[in-house]
Amino acid sequence: MEKASARVPLYSRLVVALPAGLFVWFASMVPSVAGGEAQFASIGWLPQLGVDLAFHVDGLGLLFALLITGVGTFILLYASEYMRGHPQVGRFTAFLVAFMLSMLGVVLSDNLIVLFVFWELTTLTSFLLIGYSHGDSAARRAALQSLIVTGAGALAMLAGFVLLGNAAGSYSLREMLAGDSDLAGHPAYVAMLVLVLAGAFTKSAQFPFHFWLPNAMAAPTPVSAYLHSATMVKAGVFLLARLNPVLGGTDEWGMTLTGFGAFTAVYSAAVALTRTDLKQILAYTTLMALGVCVMFIGLPQSRGADEVPLGAVAAVAFVFVHALYKAPLFMVAGTIDHSAGTRDIRSLGGLRKAMPWSLLAAALAALSMSGVPPFAGFVGKEILYSSAIGSTYGVAATAAIVTANAMIVSAALLVVAVPFLGQSPATRPTPHEGRWPMWIGSLVLGVAALGAGLFPRLAFEWLLLPAAGAVAGRQPHFEASLWHGFNLPFALSVVTLSAGALAYWQRNRLTGALGSALARLPVTGDSAYDWLMNGIARVSVVHTRIVQCGIQRRYLLIVFATLGASVLTTLVVKGVIAWPARIPDVSFVEWLLAILIAASALVTIRSHSRLMAIVALGVVGTGIALIFLLHGASDVAMTQLMVETLVVVIVAMVLLKLPGFRREVRQTGLGRWRDAIVSCVVGLTTTLVLLAVTAEPSHRRLTEYFQKTAVPEGFGANVVNVILVDFRGLDTLGEISVLALAAVSAYTLINWRPRRSARAAARSKAFPEAEGAAKPETLS
Amino acid sequence: MMDLVFTANDFHVLKPAVVLCLFGCGILLSDAFLVRRTGKRWLNAVTALVGEAIVALVVLQHLSDVRAGGAFSGLSGSIVIDGFGVFFNIIFVLSGALAVILSVRYMEAEGEHRGEYYALVLFAQAGMSIMATGNDLVVLFVALETMALSFYVMVGFLRRSKRSNEAAMKYLILGAFSSGLLAYGFSILYGIAGSTSIEAIGTAVAERPDGDWVTTLALITTSVGLFFKISAVPFHMWAPDVYEGAPTPTAAYVSVASKAASFALMIRIFLSAYGSAAESWMPLLAGIALITMTVGNLAAVTQSNLKRLLAYSSVAHAGYILLGLVAANDAGLRGIAIYILAYVFMNYGAFALIAALRRDGEAAEEIDDLNGLAGRAPGYTILVAIFMLSLAGIPPMAGFYGKYYIFLGLLREGYYVLAVFAALYVAVAAYYYFRIIRACWLTGSGDKPAALDLGLGTRVALVGSGVLTVVIGVLPQRFLALAGESVLLALR
Repeated sequence: MEKASARVPLYSRLVVALPAGLFVWFASMVPSVAGGEAQFASIGWLPQLGVDLAFHVDGLGLLFALLITGVGTFILLYASEYMRGHPQVGRFTAFLVAFMLSMLGVVLSDNLIVLFVFWELTTLTSFLLIGYSHGDSAARRAALQSLIVTGAGALAMLAGFVLLGNAAGSYSLREMLAGDSDLAGHPAYVAMLVLVLAGAFTKSAQFPFHFWLPNAMAAPTPVSAYLHSATMVKAGVFLLARLNPVLGGTDEWGMTLTGFGAFTAVYSAAVALTRTDLKQILAYTTLMALGVCVMFIGLPQSRGADEVPLGAVAAVAFVFVHALYKAPLFMVAGTIDHSAGTRDIRSLGGLRKAMPWSLLAAALAALSMSGVPPFAGFVGKEILYSSAIGSTYGVAATAAIVTANAMIVSAALLVVAVPFLGQSPATRPTPHEGRWPMWIGSLVLGVAALGAGLFPRLAFEWLLLPAAGAVAGRQPHFEASLWHGFNLPFALSVVTLSAGALAYWQRNRLTGALGSALARLPVTGDSAYDWLMNGIARVSVVHTRIVQCGIQRRYLLIVFATLGASVLTTLVVKGVIAWPARIPDVSFVEWLLAILIAASALVTIRSHSRLMAIVALGVVGTGIALIFLLHGASDVAMTQLMVETLVVVIVAMVLLKLPGFRREVRQTGLGRWRDAIVSCVVGLTTTLVLLAVTAEPSHRRLTEYFQKTAVPEGFGANVVNVILVDFRGLDTLGEISVLALAAVSAYTLINWRPRRSARAAARSKAFPEAEGAAKPETLS
Repeated sequence: MMDLVFTANDFHVLKPAVVLCLFGCGILLSDAFLVRRTGKRWLNAVTALVGEAIVALVVLQHLSDVRAGGAFSGLSGSIVIDGFGVFFNIIFVLSGALAVILSVRYMEAEGEHRGEYYALVLFAQAGMSIMATGNDLVVLFVALETMALSFYVMVGFLRRSKRSNEAAMKYLILGAFSSGLLAYGFSILYGIAGSTSIEAIGTAVAERPDGDWVTTLALITTSVGLFFKISAVPFHMWAPDVYEGAPTPTAAYVSVASKAASFALMIRIFLSAYGSAAESWMPLLAGIALITMTVGNLAAVTQSNLKRLLAYSSVAHAGYILLGLVAANDAGLRGIAIYILAYVFMNYGAFALIAALRRDGEAAEEIDDLNGLAGRAPGYTILVAIFMLSLAGIPPMAGFYGKYYIFLGLLREGYYVLAVFAALYVAVAAYYYFRIIRACWLTGSGDKPAALDLGLGTRVALVGSGVLTVVIGVLPQRFLALAGESVLLALR
């Protein structure tokens, strides 16, 4: 992958200035935002929809913006080195920058619809970035999978937003947060909740939608580090945090978030231990972190309302802590991959000598991840524990978070201790340290984690508490410090660390047990996704085979069957099937004609010769004309007779040029019966309709009008003719012209004899019979 | 009862159709006596475009008349010029012009470049123009047939291609059958009202008892006729066969303009004539819309032929547009209008992309034919992405707003389940549209390089459609306002 000789293009280094500049800009807003002044800017965009391009920087938005630009700076620097010599580095960089800007759009949008638009843009850029190694089929599958899962969630979310906007009377988040509309009591509250959660849970990969995230690790490592750990996947968490004051506070909200979050956290922490690929381990620990954030946003606190909203503080602090340790670990994993040629911890070891800077960065990050004092991770964990203890689900929540954290300690050891310490495998080529851009970022973030742990007050007062205030909907009074004394959370921390270390020591036994337990799961998200996608493909193929078979007769059959069934159902449901009260006398001649028509119809169906069938059809038409004649409608009879004759002649002219009936197109067995039944139903329905219609009174107004005015105004005794050529002459003229023009065009088609090129001959040969059927394709 | 004097006003309301017919006949004549000798068939296309330009001016004149003095009618009220009709006429002018531009290169390459083709494009458009402005059953029916007859011939225009012939035959037979049903429904409506005027029918239907079976019967038969024209399931089977067999520019024309015209007709009949029987057609339309979206989207997933894929996707789009009619409120109808407007550009764009794909002088229409194009034709690939994203309904492309408004309409009426289904099918649709985008980026297509066959006309059409798809997406303001104007009538 890496071509050491290739130069790093200048632009890929210069572009780092963009996030860095933005970071400084956002950092300059920190004092005013921490002072409670949110920044706001708006441009009119779609006034009809009440949608403005409005941006709003408050504590929560600012925290995320700083993480996005801060981590983004180092990721872009890292990527410039990581992608050295790779084709199309420019495109890659452009996608990354586009992603970063979209992500900023998500966290700073004030308008829900604008937020959705940016949300979709992050999905799209993520699709492009995951599928970047497009030669790799796993990457292509993962790209499409993430797109489908998060895309479907986002669309549900849009529906939720529309409901929310309708209920709150505005799409503006500021107005929604400031307003006091009682959404929890709204009749569509549950619908809103489910739809919005569908968006957030798919984006933030909560169980059971978590499977796309580990698959997305097929992306180049800078992408995994940035999108799938530090930023994009946090968008769901962000949304929940953002909407917590609007939608939160109810039992539904609390139970759903806590339940899904806690399960995701514990489940994925367990899976992380069974993986051997560094990126997979990190992906599952990311899932755990997302689960924890979701859980604590929803976690209802049992203490009085004026107490500190600890859940919000815990969730926000954990977002911050996680970004600081996870991005470095991913970057180090990528560096290891580059220099040692593998990410499999079973064939890694002893890198400490060759890669000292990476070791230092990874160690700092892993210590923070494990929650060892005095790192930020420790402070974050303490708050998590005190919040869990004080929650309504005290014991259960505490047990879940302690279990998940203990396994994370073990995972942290796994990703750092195994590759760097221990014995180096002999067969590997000599690993080497990456160039400075590959470790400087990890180191800075690791040191930041240490700094935030040593001076928690600074981080909390300037960044985290304003953010937590936005999540909780009120300003929390919270004193952050590294050391709270020997209390229950500290005891739990000790338990966590020891349990984690123990698990690491006994990891072979533990992973064996976990692995076999997980293997017994009947359904995984991934297999469900495959099942669904293949199911869609199967439905598609079956539909194509049955409905879209390319055979005209089948199409007509479906149309007739649908029509007959729907009309017949209407007649039955409305109860209008009745034998007419008065049956007019049927004369002998009429009986004779009826028998003749029926017999001819039978001949048409049964005939093996085209000519015979056509003639028989002509007899049917003529019989009907005679019936008209018997009832005194001589003009109608005349028209019918003319049309019938012409049809017989023309159809005979055309059809006789075709070859005779082929044996294989003739229906057999069941097919015949099916056709017969459909025909009979349609015939029966038509009869019933006619009987019903004749029983209804009809308007005489126009009839009388035409009878009265035909002679004086149209100068003709044949009313039909007068209508056609006089009263509605323009319509007739239109119709005639159209027919004439179509005929002219058709005639030129028939008469045009240009040289028949070889290509055209080949073309017509290429399509055999029944060509309408599509070739089903296997899904990839 | 009827004013039989043909006034200047009558001529004014008929102008678009008259101009189109005159230019159509003009093309037939000039082709026979002048153009054929020079061998420069593209001159016919130029004539057709001049015609379109004049029609565009006429339509704009209508628009300013309507803006100044409201809707007006002519021919004893059987033609009404209102915001709705004018909006659709704009759509038809755009589609007609695009069809003409795209056809030059394509028909030349297929060796079927003849003047009659352009005449038919204009005749079909004349029919559509009246379909959108007609206010009388007879007028509407004649207009519909004008359009349909022209299309039957156009679909079969590749005379030496079996597939084209087969497509025309299928289209003709099924089309004639559906027209018959529509006429049957119209005759029942006439029986109910004793008049062919849409307003009179609306009044008469309103006077019928609730759930009246005669109205229901008329409703079913007219609906089936119209469902066929908009290719709603289960009357959609012709669409993939016809799209695949027809000349690609014709397929685009059928899929966009014919569908738009049929929706115009359908909206007028359903809202004006059946307006009072809404509770009986809402469930019918909702059911058909749901099946249509389901079948269209699911069937598109496994298609490997681009034209067939677009055919199923256009079936699915018909389902979405129907949902706008189900909502039948301001947002829903606005959604239909903006949806169709965006659809003109994105669907023509998509078909133009296919028309441009040629290999060894042979049309290439498989998804695999796109493989590896990103490297060799980056501009083309960007257009693929724009059109596919728009078709999928992903912001910030034009296709998003139609879907958005229709969702909004549905949610406002409380059709939550329908809205969620519609939203989820967007995800399924994204699956197959992204397959197309993805194919462009695939490497390893060395064995069959697809050459791009872009004439000047195709380039202009492609870039123009692409730019408009993005512009409508990013700055939808004016377009939404125009769509809003068109709705004013329908909701009165």
